[in-house]
Amino acid sequence: MSRCKPEYVKDSKKPEEVAGCLQERFEDALESLEIREYKGGISNEVQYKDMYLKVKREKFLDLIDTLMTFDFLHFQVMSGNDDGDVVTLNYHCTLFRSSERGKEIGLCISVAVPKDDLRMPSLWGRIPGVEYSEREMREMLGVDFEGLPNKGLIFLPEDWDEDIKPWRRDDTGPSPEDVRELS
Amino acid sequence: MAIGTGKTYKVPIGPVHVGLKEPITAWLDVDGERIVDATIRPGAIHRGIEFMARDRNPIQVIYLAERICGICSFTHIEAFIRAVEDAAKIPVPARAQYIRTIVLELERIHSHILWAGVACYTFGYDSAFHLGMILREKVMDVLEALTGNRVNYGTGTIGGVRRDITPKVEKAIKDMIAFYKSEFSLFYDVAVGDPVALARLRNVGVLSKEDAITHCALGPTARGSGLRVDLRWSAPYEAYADLDVKPVVPQDYTGEVYGDVYDRFLVRVLEVYQSLEIIEKCLEGLPEGDLMWEPKLPKLLSYLKQAEGMGVGSIEGPRGDDIHVVKLTGGQENITWWKVRAPTYANAVSWPIMFRGNDVADAPLIINSVDPCISCMERMLVTDVRKGSKQVVTKSELLQSCREKTRRLMGA
Amino acid sequence: MKLERYIDILSKSIWVFLCNSGSCNGCDIEIVATLTPRYDIERFGMKLVGTPRHADVLLVTGPVTKFMANKLKRIYAQMPDPKVVIAVGNCAASGDVFYKSYNLEGPVDNIIPVDVYVHGCPPRPEAIIEGAAKAVMKLEKMKEELKKAGAPK
Repeated sequence: MSRCKPEYVKDSKKPEEVAGCLQERFEDALESLEIREYKGGISNEVQYKDMYLKVKREKFLDLIDTLMTFDFLHFQVMSGNDDGDVVTLNYHCTLFRSSERGKEIGLCISVAVPKDDLRMPSLWGRIPGVEYSEREMREMLGVDFEGLPNKGLIFLPEDWDEDIKPWRRDDTGPSPEDVRELS
Repeated sequence: MAIGTGKTYKVPIGPVHVGLKEPITAWLDVDGERIVDATIRPGAIHRGIEFMARDRNPIQVIYLAERICGICSFTHIEAFIRAVEDAAKIPVPARAQYIRTIVLELERIHSHILWAGVACYTFGYDSAFHLGMILREKVMDVLEALTGNRVNYGTGTIGGVRRDITPKVEKAIKDMIAFYKSEFSLFYDVAVGDPVALARLRNVGVLSKEDAITHCALGPTARGSGLRVDLRWSAPYEAYADLDVKPVVPQDYTGEVYGDVYDRFLVRVLEVYQSLEIIEKCLEGLPEGDLMWEPKLPKLLSYLKQAEGMGVGSIEGPRGDDIHVVKLTGGQENITWWKVRAPTYANAVSWPIMFRGNDVADAPLIINSVDPCISCMERMLVTDVRKGSKQVVTKSELLQSCREKTRRLMGA
Repeated sequence: MKLERYIDILSKSIWVFLCNSGSCNGCDIEIVATLTPRYDIERFGMKLVGTPRHADVLLVTGPVTKFMANKLKRIYAQMPDPKVVIAVGNCAASGDVFYKSYNLEGPVDNIIPVDVYVHGCPPRPEAIIEGAAKAVMKLEKMKEELKKAGAPK
């Protein structure tokens, strides 16, 4: 798969075309795919569309490389949650940011990471801008990213106890003694 | 001072930066006067806001979201409200969309004028700073007439806005636009057209186009490097669906793009003019109608209680795109989780690249050019490894050296 | 005594140092707006200085995060006597919307003693000027007491 050069393309594709391409290539590994439309203005017409995907962890890097062949994937943020026995990570990115009016496609790629094996491949080699997000997910949820060079704490103070993960809801989360009420 | 002898000193900057969005700690590797590398360590203002939202319902979280940042407060409310409306599938009436757009553009004007004034103060142009601050008071008066407060407006709600534009407020906005069209050109001539400003800011803190793309730069930082990106154009929301907003890039005005501090300065000043046009068009086309989808609060809360889903709201703020992600669960009144990414964090990843090859005296200017709200650097500790001596350099001395360089360039 | 009389008998203008201990910047912008020509606190001679060793008045904004707690204590210790601390904004006074977090140490009076509270979110520049005026009166009283106790002028 050819790695995409850092530049934005001029011609965009429709979301249905991109969805068809991905479904052909990935079949079962792609667990769900949904396209949402957004309306606005006085006439209340459709202005732009977004795609929500769910993919298995083994095919995640393949999916990213396939998306990079359409356009350089612009990464916005990673969000995540503790869902019982898995940790769900959502990657929010966009395609076709710089092509035409109203043609940007927002993507949300969800990956379920099992709690007994909290590892994910890092995207740092392809997109250096993910550094802060991956460090944040590591300190808040405990997911380890392989290939990330700087794995230090980013938002928590230096003397924080690293076993407490603030966003987890099980016994590695903050206990009631750690949470202070100011007033 | 021999550059390239291989000896570098580590100079820490911060963390007590008076008025920065975060008191950020930056470590600069310095060889003589040139900066070789830089490492940034944020984390002084982490208040745990996303954690606090877990036991509050969506209406209470609006007031928490507003206080994430004091300069772009309505931007955060707007992104959060759009995320909740996406998750719960709530439509917004047309008049409310137009009023939200007008308040967003007013906020953009006030933020850009504030930044322009502080940038001039940083390299020694005090009179431009005071001129900018007087000009800014006019837009603060209009915001106070429209929403009731100068900062932290609290105007948005899920499904609409809380206050209307009455004929008196409309007249105040029209007076403000006429005032700026005649008076702001003064600031433009004084700051952007000045040859000393051009000499001081050209080729300082360069961010190339490829680096801006791979490091996910946003807003005026990316537009200053020549990229045509603007969420109001590529994914139009609210009243921008009826307007034609084009991204402002330096190559359309000066013919070439360098990606330095001067280009970012130019982009922000030109965006003020663009915002004035947008407000004028919105006022002309303001439709009649309701202000809110559901004016009764208990009904709204009970509807939100049984809503289920994940929503994303991303809009173009004064510093770049602001994105909020919200998950609602059916049967629970509180929100399940919430993630905020303010634009400064994405732009901060590009700081180390911008620092390389520049003088230490330019460091305040480069930190400020990405617009991390206000920036003033507090204290620097210069360690001379060979002599083993330490010398504390205070904010006034650092700013002094920034201004001295301007005088040297002027030939004084 | 009225404010104007106190300002007549001040021996030196008040120098102010600003410390942001985790705030959203709204209060800091209103403080900068107080310096500008419309509200103009500089006509009383007050100005911002770059180091706490030269300052008489410390302005603190924001609920104090764990990172900034001991830095705030060190800044307070570096200021020479007599000194006055003004807590600007609701966050510094009581925490405002930021109650119940894992990374906050408490409102400012848990860390250092506070003399004047200016309320508001954010307080208007006129309210900040009134807070500064009360700080001036308190500082004058402290100087008189020091003089009575025999300290050199």
